[in-house]
Amino acid sequence: MRSASGKVGAVILTILLSACYSGGGPKRTVAGTGGPGALAGAPAVSYDVKRLDGRLDSLARYRGSVVVMNLWATWCPPCREEMPDLQRFYNEFKGKGVVVLGVDQGESSATAGTYARKRGVTFPILVDEDQQYGRTYEAVGLPTTVVVDRRGRVVRGIDGQLTLAQMREIVAPALKAQ
Amino acid sequence: MTARGIALAAGMFAMALTVAQDVRPGLDVYHTWQYAAALALAAVVIAAYVRRALRGKDGPAGSRVAVGLCGALLVLTGGLVSGLIGPDTITVSGSPGTVLPVADLGAAASFGEADAATVARGAGAISLRRSDGSEFAVPPTRPLYLGTSIAYRTTRPAAYVVARDARGNRLTVTQPAGGAFLSPVLLFPQRQPIRDKTYPLDTFALPAVHRIVRALYFSAADAAAFNRVAASSAALVLSVNDDAGKQLAISVALSGREVETANVRVTATAGTYPQLAVAAAPHPALLLGGLLIFAGGAGAALLNTARRSRIETARI
Repeated sequence: MRSASGKVGAVILTILLSACYSGGGPKRTVAGTGGPGALAGAPAVSYDVKRLDGRLDSLARYRGSVVVMNLWATWCPPCREEMPDLQRFYNEFKGKGVVVLGVDQGESSATAGTYARKRGVTFPILVDEDQQYGRTYEAVGLPTTVVVDRRGRVVRGIDGQLTLAQMREIVAPALKAQ
Repeated sequence: MTARGIALAAGMFAMALTVAQDVRPGLDVYHTWQYAAALALAAVVIAAYVRRALRGKDGPAGSRVAVGLCGALLVLTGGLVSGLIGPDTITVSGSPGTVLPVADLGAAASFGEADAATVARGAGAISLRRSDGSEFAVPPTRPLYLGTSIAYRTTRPAAYVVARDARGNRLTVTQPAGGAFLSPVLLFPQRQPIRDKTYPLDTFALPAVHRIVRALYFSAADAAAFNRVAASSAALVLSVNDDAGKQLAISVALSGREVETANVRVTATAGTYPQLAVAAAPHPALLLGGLLIFAGGAGAALLNTARRSRIETARI
């Protein structure tokens, strides 16, 4: 009897263990990113790239200031529409602990420089020919705006064109924070 | 066949099934009920013999075999546990410079930056950042064991694209349908069948000049097989369309060489970029321990049998 109950137990154990398996299914492939907003709270990654004048510059150099980094390109219509507001925002917050950094994505400095001169852009423009900032900040389109606080952490990442009022609004919490 | 022989065969069979999880990780078969049933059945057979033998019902050699079979049970349990609570096999593919969550590991996979040379050498890096802040690289040649999981690198075709306009100015490369919108690194997530083969396919856009380019990846052997291309390296076949989808040109871009097509100059450096695979697998230390116990028990039983045989021969 003991032997019979042992066999029954063994069969039940085997069935249970087999049933517990998930059944396999297709292998999942995870790809894609969460967009620029997904990086909020993360340390801001920085790369050395050239400025329009050929000198090397990077996001990290502005640590200690609130940085509004705008990823843009000359071919992008919303970027072009946003540029006057970004310049006005720069003029308004210049000297108040806020740095505006335009990071051209994938174009030559000649292309970005010609455009900036024509449109009277005076804030620093970095030329990211290899699109490193765009990839790392998970841009899903252009323009993309990333706000970095004084400690070098990403506060917000926003996809799409912003108005001057929206720029003021997104920078306010980072300015208030110590 | 004796009960001892059946138990030993079941032990070796179960150990082979479990060790396979580490030697050939990621196979779908490890997550099937048939695999679990085979291991569970082996466990039942071994446990029944061990119970009997440890009570001395199969002589001194049987007791030693039973000890060895405990090692097999250890290995087998590791295999069952990793299959039951370990993750399903997943492949995490990220563009260079991106970070993707890997929920099954409670970690994030960070895909290293890659330039043209990195892609050509297949030297892209992957590291894992765990929630406790620890970070470690996934080595190119050996897997990482994390609890009941194994993380290892596999490679996929990749190409680093540099595009210029007719005057030589760099153009932004975008991948509206890709994993990273602003990446000049193509990772070829699709396949295009041509005749009896399929080839890696990706698409990128050059919005400044209103071009959409479909790129087919041909390995060096594939490229050389085409009559018009005598290639010692991989190549991309580029189909250049305008915004409306009208085809403007088809060109072959040998890896690292600039090709001018439909008023754009494209240099595509072909190579590979790693992706991360995560699968269930028992820790090798557990397997090694179990195998050593098994070998020790089986060896002791053989010695015991040989000694008894010598004694009996001497008596005769």
